[in-house]
Amino acid sequence: MNNKIKLFSIKKEHESASKHVSGKAKYADDIHEPKNLLHAAIGYSQIAKGKIKSINLKEVAKSEGVIDVITYKDIPGINDVGPVFKGDPIFAKKNIEYFGQPIFSVAATTCELARKALRKAKINYLKEKPILEIKDAIKKKSFVLKTKVIQKGNVNKSIKDSNNTIEGELFSGGQDHFYLEGQIALTIPKEDNNYLIYSSTQHPSETQQIVAKVLKQKFNSINVRIRRIGGGFGGKETQSFIFAAISALLARKTGNPIKLRIDRDDDMIITGKRHDFYYKYKVGFSNKGKINGLDLLLASRCGISPDLSGAINDRAIYHIDNSYFIPNIKLVSYRCKTNTVSNTAFRGFGGPQGMFCIENIIENISKYLNIEASIIRKNNFYQKNKNNITHYNMKVEDNCINEIFKDLLKKSNYKKRKKKIIEFNKKNTILKKGISITPVKFGISFTTTHLNQGGALVHIYTDGSVHLNHGGIEMGQGLMTKIAQIAANELGLSTNEIKITSTDTEKVPNTSASAASASTDINGGAVVNAINKIKNNLALFITKNYKYKGKAIKYKNNKVLFGNKSIDFKKLISLAYLNRISLSSSGFYKTPKIFMNKETLKGRPFLYFSYGAAVSEVIIDTLTGENKLIQVDILHDVGKSINPSIDLGQIEGGFVQGLGWLTTEQVSWNVNGNLTTHSPSTYKIPVSKDIPEKFNVNIYEKGFNIEKTVNRSKAVGEPPLMLALSTFMALKNAVNNNNLKAPATPENILMALQE
Amino acid sequence: MIKNEIEFILNDNLIKIKDIDTNVTVLNYLRSNKKLTGTKEGCASGDCGACTAVTAELNNNKLTYKSINTCITFLYNLHGKQLITVENIGKDKLHPVQQSMIDNDGSQCGFCTPGFVMAMFGMYKNKIKPTNNNIDEYLAGNLCRCTGYKSIKNAARKMYSYGRNDKFTKNKKITIKLLKSINKNDVIIDNNKKKFYIPSNLNNLIKETQKLSKFKFLSGGTDLTLEVTKQNKEINSLIYLGNNKDLNYINIKNNYLHVGAATPINDLIPKLKNIYPSFADMFYRYGSIQIRNVATIGGNLASASPIGDCSPALLALNSSLLIQGKIQREVHINKFFKSYRKTTLKNKEFIKEIKIPIFKNCIFKCYKISKRFDDDISSVFVAFLLNLKKNLIIDMNIAFGGMAATPKLASKTQKFLIGKKFNYNNIHISKKIIENDFNPLSDMRASSQYRNIVSQNLLERFYLEVKNNRSETIN
Repeated sequence: MNNKIKLFSIKKEHESASKHVSGKAKYADDIHEPKNLLHAAIGYSQIAKGKIKSINLKEVAKSEGVIDVITYKDIPGINDVGPVFKGDPIFAKKNIEYFGQPIFSVAATTCELARKALRKAKINYLKEKPILEIKDAIKKKSFVLKTKVIQKGNVNKSIKDSNNTIEGELFSGGQDHFYLEGQIALTIPKEDNNYLIYSSTQHPSETQQIVAKVLKQKFNSINVRIRRIGGGFGGKETQSFIFAAISALLARKTGNPIKLRIDRDDDMIITGKRHDFYYKYKVGFSNKGKINGLDLLLASRCGISPDLSGAINDRAIYHIDNSYFIPNIKLVSYRCKTNTVSNTAFRGFGGPQGMFCIENIIENISKYLNIEASIIRKNNFYQKNKNNITHYNMKVEDNCINEIFKDLLKKSNYKKRKKKIIEFNKKNTILKKGISITPVKFGISFTTTHLNQGGALVHIYTDGSVHLNHGGIEMGQGLMTKIAQIAANELGLSTNEIKITSTDTEKVPNTSASAASASTDINGGAVVNAINKIKNNLALFITKNYKYKGKAIKYKNNKVLFGNKSIDFKKLISLAYLNRISLSSSGFYKTPKIFMNKETLKGRPFLYFSYGAAVSEVIIDTLTGENKLIQVDILHDVGKSINPSIDLGQIEGGFVQGLGWLTTEQVSWNVNGNLTTHSPSTYKIPVSKDIPEKFNVNIYEKGFNIEKTVNRSKAVGEPPLMLALSTFMALKNAVNNNNLKAPATPENILMALQE
Repeated sequence: MIKNEIEFILNDNLIKIKDIDTNVTVLNYLRSNKKLTGTKEGCASGDCGACTAVTAELNNNKLTYKSINTCITFLYNLHGKQLITVENIGKDKLHPVQQSMIDNDGSQCGFCTPGFVMAMFGMYKNKIKPTNNNIDEYLAGNLCRCTGYKSIKNAARKMYSYGRNDKFTKNKKITIKLLKSINKNDVIIDNNKKKFYIPSNLNNLIKETQKLSKFKFLSGGTDLTLEVTKQNKEINSLIYLGNNKDLNYINIKNNYLHVGAATPINDLIPKLKNIYPSFADMFYRYGSIQIRNVATIGGNLASASPIGDCSPALLALNSSLLIQGKIQREVHINKFFKSYRKTTLKNKEFIKEIKIPIFKNCIFKCYKISKRFDDDISSVFVAFLLNLKKNLIIDMNIAFGGMAATPKLASKTQKFLIGKKFNYNNIHISKKIIENDFNPLSDMRASSQYRNIVSQNLLERFYLEVKNNRSETIN
């Protein structure tokens, strides 16, 4: 154990770092283009709701360079790329449900000519009135999925019996993923109507399955492959399917390879985003701010179809407690259908929206009782031996939030700074400061239990070099680096000996999306399993060949050690080959212990929790609403880190992405339902200057996973995003008004100040 | 002798081009024609920086390095320059910038990384020791969605510890010699029914302009190229002003700052710093360095955007424009903007110069409000010019951007204030009057309500800052 931890602490940069910095890392658009390649473009709806009265694509077909045009009529199989439920047509047939809904596609000799041709389409619409607001959808009972209710204890009584109650409304905003590499797919026809698809996706297996269904072919005729993608954040978990499907449809029809790379603006218009939420709450609490009961309605903008909205809203429900024990609770969850693009997975997957709600409620309780919010938070934390059952009946067994919170309060000098801020605010009328500390407790595992499985394929070649594949996608999170470290550690080799190539449905089948922060746990587990199988083969060989009777065989420093013998790894491998020992194996992993009831949502949906806490200090300008983040202090639990520098990168990056969601990033539609923030000139993600000058980020040193994950590490992809809630709460603290809406743009801040 | 081809150095090699379509961007040329795929497309609108490369130009026998957005630069703009791409800087040995990025974990998904590396390379070649502000300034045009920037900023801070001289310093003489070998005569490209003219001086420019019938002027191209990349239009004839030395100058004469219309905004900032520091500070936020390196003040005015920050500032300063057609005429900027995106420029006329008065005894301040501090279009912009004598307002200009279809003076407010005491009471009354001056729109940047409140509050801010002689802002 100690040895393992030592090895993992060695600084190891991202496996592709030197390729990233020199432009040598290949993304889908950089792959050497095949002969006769055609380029595709997508024509989409210019209205939010209505019917297609007439469609004339003759001029499109005649346009310079155009080889073919396709509509829904050219789909041999199903016209749907919906992942769990149906409802996401590739091309609209007659009904238009959102502005930007694809209607047709062209293939032309160049990308520019394909895009030019689109503009020649003549489509007449019969416009209908779209539903654009969540509240409007609730009023009209417009839902994509059944309403879910989860209860624990007696809410009405607990609120009635409480000394204090408050009620109110809250709003959290949407968010565009803004992965730097836009959506892209390249399909290459192979023999027997088989297709090879390079897709920038987080989910190759489902891409394979969906394209097969669209083409009405067997899964085994479609091969999806990708080495790395330029960011995903959930935006390529299902939203990539339509592009893969259209490129495959055109490849099938023309017989040519097809590249479909869409323009950034079109990407933002066509693809789903983070769900914005509306909340209505009533909370009862003691004079110390201890929550007795919470009665909550939460409603999200799902857009036109279910997509992953079911699981996302479930996760919002699972995280409404954040780190707090709420003895009595009733949650009603509306999954609203609006005439906007179908919203989808986004880092945190509903978790951030759940926590946003409870953290605001805590701030409001703090203001009501005039007790510092950090004290209210502490008073409500889950405890170790009591108050440790969640509203979905899972026992919190690995709680370390009390310790992290206490450590961070001390490390960040919170109390002293809070005093100073109170003084500052007394002296200043125009500028006001605020500070807040918020916790994070995030459940790890797909809440859809069957997705918690991973696969791997490991080969050792006769020179001792190792080649491996697994089901995960490298999207910047450092998965390949961690997996290579895990494999190297198991075999006692340096990572230079481990080669990981493109994730490929021909290598590892039936995989789950790289999502839910679980890719290292799941795929790392599968790699260990595969290596152990090969090691078992080698053990049999060692026993026979060296007459070794013991059990202990160690792999260390390029050597294999047993008894008093030490053999070069390479030599052992070459000998094993000559003795006809199998040096290749697949591997498999399934997450233990988890289960849940789909109706009541009760059970143990998560294997474990990742914890963290953050302090944000802000300053606002009460004349303009402009604001600035002055200092951030973070303490985050990653268990025993496999790669601290990669984990720190995830924490910092996750925080800043959450910061964008809660401050500058605003998704807006006009009254007709047209998205008006569809480019980086109107949609503003954080830049260099937006991060605080004092940005202290630390890994929780005592971190340890009580569950048996690889190296006892913990998932780190999503949890840090929610640390940014501290910034919103600090802003709310500075504004000193409960009605601050997210995102806290200068406008929303100024408007809250006006009230 | 008029040439029919352009010449530039791509990394180490001299390239001559005449057959490629004149609407092709540098990015598409690199990726499609040269298969140099290290430079990435993130947005094709100059907002994300993934496509950043660096140009080197020869000025007074010295090389000046500038980062540019290749996605919104036409290929033919490269005439006479060196273009350096990410593949080249570390060809034999990783460049200090690259090694620092690796060692500081500056890349995650890696897609934005080449752009960051090149933006940092631009900084490396221009600054000796970057401050935190310098780093933010040089990186403001590059978006990263993975790292949270901390590691990238560390890499930028530490890059000089990997060596202060790179191969470009070593090869300086060869590069200068190559650049000098490029013929500086006029260029006329005529292919695929499209034309691209590069006049080398003012006389030739006027001559060509009169000859042609339908064309567009192009300088930095940061707005015009979007017609190609975003609207899929074709621009048939272009006259490029960027290489015209007669339009690129800054002089101070007779209490006026004379700025050649094709002067890149970045070249103007140092001069403005001494005269109107608040104007200079605004320019840092006006666009990323990649934009400011090529975007010109003339281009900004001619495109007549209602939200360009430069125009209201110039409006407050009573600037005028020298407009060149067959003859030259001078127009006060207040008469220049006619309506949304319309100016008094007639066919075949272009802006030759901007004349900015230097008011030595006036107070000039401007304020920019946007969702994001850096590289964002204003929801409200205001510039004040105040002539104050013994606390009496002798004269005052208040010019707003973002409040109407064109940049516009708050005339009613001005009228009320001129001749009055500069005190809180009068400012308080004038806050109400401002509401009658404008009827702003609601859009994705801000609501009309917000624009109204902020415009009033900025008047108060200006008053407080002048009165207390200190600025009370969050930055």
